[in-house]
Amino acid sequence: MKTKKIYKFYFLLGVLLFFSACTDDLNVIPKDDDEFLTEEFYAEPTAYKQALAGIYGNLSLTGTSGAGSSNLEGIDAGTSQYARTLWYLQDLAADEPIWSYENDEGGAVKAIQRNTWSSTNTILLGFFSRSMFSVALTNEFLRQSSDENILRRGHTSAVGNDIAAYRAEARLLRALAYYHLMDLFGKAAFVTENDPVGTYQGPQYERAELFTFIESELLAIENDLVASRQNEYGRADKAVAWMILAKMYLNAEVYIGQDMNTQCITYSNKIINSGFSLASDYSLNFLADNDFNEAGMNEIIFQLVNDGVVTENYGATTVIINGEVGSLENNATDLGAQGWGGALRVRKQFAQKFLNGDVPLTDERNTILTEGRDIEIVDVGDRDSGYIITKFKNITSEGDPGVDPTFVDTDFPMFRLADVYLMYAEAVVRGGTGGTTGEAVDYVNMLRTRANSTTITSGELTLNFLIDERSRELYWEGHRRQDLVRFGLFTGGNYNWVWKGGSANGISLPSHLNVYPMPANNMSANPNLTQNPGY
Amino acid sequence: MLKNKINFMKQIRQLILGILFLLPLFMSAQELIKGNVKDAIGEDLPGVTVLVKGTANGTATDFDGNFTLQVDDANAILVFSFVGFETVEITASSNMSVTLQESSESLDEVVLIGYGATTIKDATGSVAAITEKDFNEGNIVTPAGLITGRVAGVSVTTDGAPGGGSAIRIRGGSSLGASNDPLIVIDGLPISNSNVDGSRSILESINPNDIESFSILKDASATAIYGSRASNGVIIITTKKGKETFQVDFNMQTGYQTLADKIDVFSADEYRDLITERVDLGQSGISIDQLGNANTNWQDEIYEDNFTTDASLSMRGSLFDKLPTRFSLGYTNQPGIRKTSEFDRGTASLSINPKFFDDHLKVNLNTNFSSVHNRFAEGVEGDALRFDPTQPVYDTTSPFGGFFEYHTNGEPNNAPRNPVASLLQYRDISNIQRFYGNFEIDYKFHFLPELRAIVNLGYDNSEGKGNKIRSIESIRGYRTGNNQPFLGSEETYTSNRTNKLLDGYLTYNKEFSNLDLEVTAGYSYQKFESESYNSGNLVDLDSESDVQTDPDIVLIGYFARTNLAFNNKYLLTLSYRRDGTSRFSEDNRWGNFPAAAFAWKLGEEDFLKDSNVLSSLKFRMGWGITGQQDIDASYAYLGRYVTGTSNSQYIFGNTPITVGIPQSRFEDIKWEETTTYNVGFDYGFLNDALTGSIEVYLKESKDLLANVAVADGSNFSNAGWQNIGQFTSKGVEFSIGADIFNTDDFRWNASYNVSFNRTEIDELALGQDIEVGGISGGTGSRVQVHREGFSPYSYFVFKQLYDTAGNPIEGAYVDINQDGIVNTSDRYIYKKPAADILMGFQSTMNYKNLDLSFNLRASIGNYNYNNVNSSRAQYNLLQATTALGNIPTSVLESNFNETANVLISDYYIENASFLKMDNLTLGYNFNELKGNLSSIRLWTGMQNVFTITNYSGLDPEIFEGIDNTIYPRPRTFLLGVNVKFN
Repeated sequence: MKTKKIYKFYFLLGVLLFFSACTDDLNVIPKDDDEFLTEEFYAEPTAYKQALAGIYGNLSLTGTSGAGSSNLEGIDAGTSQYARTLWYLQDLAADEPIWSYENDEGGAVKAIQRNTWSSTNTILLGFFSRSMFSVALTNEFLRQSSDENILRRGHTSAVGNDIAAYRAEARLLRALAYYHLMDLFGKAAFVTENDPVGTYQGPQYERAELFTFIESELLAIENDLVASRQNEYGRADKAVAWMILAKMYLNAEVYIGQDMNTQCITYSNKIINSGFSLASDYSLNFLADNDFNEAGMNEIIFQLVNDGVVTENYGATTVIINGEVGSLENNATDLGAQGWGGALRVRKQFAQKFLNGDVPLTDERNTILTEGRDIEIVDVGDRDSGYIITKFKNITSEGDPGVDPTFVDTDFPMFRLADVYLMYAEAVVRGGTGGTTGEAVDYVNMLRTRANSTTITSGELTLNFLIDERSRELYWEGHRRQDLVRFGLFTGGNYNWVWKGGSANGISLPSHLNVYPMPANNMSANPNLTQNPGY
Repeated sequence: MLKNKINFMKQIRQLILGILFLLPLFMSAQELIKGNVKDAIGEDLPGVTVLVKGTANGTATDFDGNFTLQVDDANAILVFSFVGFETVEITASSNMSVTLQESSESLDEVVLIGYGATTIKDATGSVAAITEKDFNEGNIVTPAGLITGRVAGVSVTTDGAPGGGSAIRIRGGSSLGASNDPLIVIDGLPISNSNVDGSRSILESINPNDIESFSILKDASATAIYGSRASNGVIIITTKKGKETFQVDFNMQTGYQTLADKIDVFSADEYRDLITERVDLGQSGISIDQLGNANTNWQDEIYEDNFTTDASLSMRGSLFDKLPTRFSLGYTNQPGIRKTSEFDRGTASLSINPKFFDDHLKVNLNTNFSSVHNRFAEGVEGDALRFDPTQPVYDTTSPFGGFFEYHTNGEPNNAPRNPVASLLQYRDISNIQRFYGNFEIDYKFHFLPELRAIVNLGYDNSEGKGNKIRSIESIRGYRTGNNQPFLGSEETYTSNRTNKLLDGYLTYNKEFSNLDLEVTAGYSYQKFESESYNSGNLVDLDSESDVQTDPDIVLIGYFARTNLAFNNKYLLTLSYRRDGTSRFSEDNRWGNFPAAAFAWKLGEEDFLKDSNVLSSLKFRMGWGITGQQDIDASYAYLGRYVTGTSNSQYIFGNTPITVGIPQSRFEDIKWEETTTYNVGFDYGFLNDALTGSIEVYLKESKDLLANVAVADGSNFSNAGWQNIGQFTSKGVEFSIGADIFNTDDFRWNASYNVSFNRTEIDELALGQDIEVGGISGGTGSRVQVHREGFSPYSYFVFKQLYDTAGNPIEGAYVDINQDGIVNTSDRYIYKKPAADILMGFQSTMNYKNLDLSFNLRASIGNYNYNNVNSSRAQYNLLQATTALGNIPTSVLESNFNETANVLISDYYIENASFLKMDNLTLGYNFNELKGNLSSIRLWTGMQNVFTITNYSGLDPEIFEGIDNTIYPRPRTFLLGVNVKFN
């Protein structure tokens, strides 16, 4: 009997041990070869560059597994792409392009291009969340790449001096995101690397607070950034920081009610004098090889990298080029993309800037196709009406198509030298010091000469001229709404374009539309955010 | 069909048998009566109690249904009774032949309740049992079809594809973001709700012919023993087991399936007239020159009628006279109504269920193997509706395999693609091998027979392999660029899912004088693993293969339950489960799930006991808390990085860099909890000829797990899995079953159930709406919303304005917020997809050897969003970019021109209430056959007989309400035979 009891005891003990051992099984870890615990990921010193590529990647990619994937929710993957939503909010909302498929995103596209948006518009959500994702990625990178962590992981010598530049670039991308938020929404949730991950609700930063933060950040990282034009292609250098600063100073009147044109000239000069030069041909900026052709090497200051195989996304250039393919023209081959049957056309007021005689028809920046089409767009859904353009192409300067017919190779040129020339000219006209009218005229004429257009005299260099010239030079590059706001032409009735305000011939817009409403979902996820006046 | 009882009943039979065999020893021999007892289909019934009325003198039938009994009086009245059958009284005679009829709703039926069993009459929770005799008849391919419409509060929406899955909802579900699928337990093994790649559904590989019974646990007092996975109810499936009596069953049926209905689009001639008319009216972008000369009905071209086959063979008996065994083979072939689709299934099952040591040790080994071959046919309905009916299917000059396509010198135009070519030039096949089963040891202690120890080991492994090949001739194939040759596409994949279970528990069962006590306590461990491989597109040199290994899901539970019965009148059940899940952090992973239920058998009280009308009455009330953790995030609490795939890299310099992206992290994520209250009555009238129940329930879910917005910038997405909000589901259920006629020649029994259910979101995080319900017709457009105070998935649309003649005005909507602009802020909530009322009605009539049965099913108050019309029925879509496109004829009613103007209109929300007859079956039984052949049944039937609805779309039965073309549910004409030998 005694042995039986002992057996029973051992049996029960065994059962207990078995059961308690099994509870450790509840601690599961990633088993996939593409997924890692944070420390596991940072085990190799190369991880920092991969994480940095993730922050840059957020400007082009929407997710980690192809064009259909998204890190964000509540919006179609493509419709949350950084440059594409930026392009919707800056260009589609203004007087240049118009999108034919107005039911996309439940009519959100329609509301943007007709200026009838409300806080529930999903494109607003898309851009807000996408740009705040840049902020979150930067914050995480700054935490993970802290001296303390690098020392702890024994990576100090392996990462060497690179890490300082990486960290500066991450901060630059965060500043860029806040710059766009400041411009579009006039406010944002302020979250830094010192805040916790989870459900932390950042305080609301108003426009002036954001302005101060971005400015101080860019100035603080200036020394750590790689010298102008010395970094690897795709990565930001000092000139990008100067560009954001110059843009902020040019628009400072709008943002903070201060004239900072002098500072704009200062930073424009820094860029101009740091070795950039215009490409010999305007069109080179918008081709499939605009990474390593002349424009990519010399003129483009910052680009969002695209490759038809490696960086698949339904982003700005893919949408623009596929959208450019006309409903009547069968010009898919010319553009190097299969096309979406006439998704994009141009509004009358834009077409007239090239066609009404202000510039000769030889102006090479004019890529408008008019044949068989009428300039008027009476019915937005009628893709055969209105003119189309062919500015961006998925064709190399050698005439070869990009590697994929849907996902284009063409990089999105976010900032380029031509813009700096025009900013310089405008800041001079607006009374900034540190520049001269003569130089301003020269810069403008360099652009026009390159384009095989006419040159202007100093008497012709006026604000009215500049707002139109900016459109001729920079159309569809994501600047238009900001420019029109600065010139006081976006809202109000001084300048109406077709379908402005939802009316076929355009109507006056109330001034509160100069900023977008805070997106409702993002606002309710963070109760610190308040709605903009008028919405 | 084979009539058999589940395992437990067998034991009861044998118990009775054993006792009654002894009785004759005490009898004095006078007159010897011999006889045989069979059931309605001629199967011998062993263990039937045979008593001389008014005495204790009796016996029981042996294994062949024979009995002998000594009686004092040659004209004595004998009473034949047996659980699950109507009791009959017959005057004794020599060589009696007695037939017992099954009672329609037996209160003695055993129901499994998870780690144990009870009977309907002793159940304290809301439990429904559906045994084989109640199963739906007809073309049942997957197990869920057996119970569609049978149980109040259980809705089953089955896909039209062959072998397609079923969305099962018990009492409307209880979650917003987490799974609403009930837990399905097969022979003690809870199965995963995720199917292996290449499989159509989790139940596709299970042969319905191998199923003996379903127990459906609806309220928390019943389900809480399954704790963490019980919020959406539990369906316990028991497979058929081995028995000692030898029997062979053979079933064979064949069906002819046809298309039940089509969507109305313009015919070729109508279309020519329409284009002419619209061009005359000035519509741009189309011209009569684009019309072709053919007359093609594209819907006819993508569907085809087909024969289906289903055969099964099962054998039961004792192996070596020791091991009760059942072996079955099944074969099902369902070609599917959509061209090229196919479902082919072979199954084998082996069940060995011996007992040893005077029944102290019971061993159950159940093994099932199935091999499924699928060919998937793409949903080309959209193209079939759209394709110009004046164009031909074939074009001998076409470079695309002889199929008509829109192209310019081989360069595709931006236009619809030939749907017939899409089907025939694409081969998407899969083969699934699944092995599942369990091994259970049930040991009754020799020194303490009241105590049993049960260990159940379960294993379920599915392996899927698939291959997708698009012809090199297809216009939809991959190519490297414009003007380059088409290369087709090829992709292979494999997928493997494994589910392992270990349950161990002790059960103590003792009857005291006034008290029956049962206590169960145990432990459960389950682990789910999954891995898959995808080759990528093999003809695209840039495409890469990937192996994806999912994180394991591990669930561990400790459970206990006690059942107390006082005086056989007052029943009390208390249960408790503590569950741990790998989905949550160490601080949050354990949850406690208690439940209690009380039942009072009013019918046993003196004041009702002698009632002639009321034969039984039981009052039940229950309460319980259950949990939910089944979300598609395996470990949201952990800090993780994901690296990008080869097509999601970023380029520095000229070098693609694999990006590393941190993943959302919610350290505080924890259990969702549902508290359920249930009150009900079970009743029986007229000696239980009429039985049923009525009950009321309230389910409150809190800490709802949902994937919702998170403050931007604080995490690595704008949304993630969090515990947010509350949700309520409440309802009333009523069921009744009756033997309406019960004579020797004619019997009619019918049952009816109705349930009223209302689900409502009480609270969402920060009061924020969650938009859901993606639709076609606009990229990223959604038409449903979760909002506080409303039903989940409520439609969120614009309010259409109508002119004085009652016609909708295109693009004109009510300015709901009255701000002067109609924009996305003017959408409102209008109707919901969930039904308010669900009803089921089943009828079976027998006249002599002839039987006729049918079932009806109704759904009332469910609304659909007709996305077929909303995204297609507009005149501007007559232009399909560079070609012509057909549109639904409903455009003639709306006269809408532009999709963008009308897509989100409440005009397209339609009442989709319906009444369906799912099945009609007529059968004839040949009994009393010679030799070993015991019965033959011939039957014919029809599946999907009719649908009555006002809904304008193809089929009103759309799960979650967005109708954007479905795999049509075919109408099938059936012929079958069942043969039994013994």
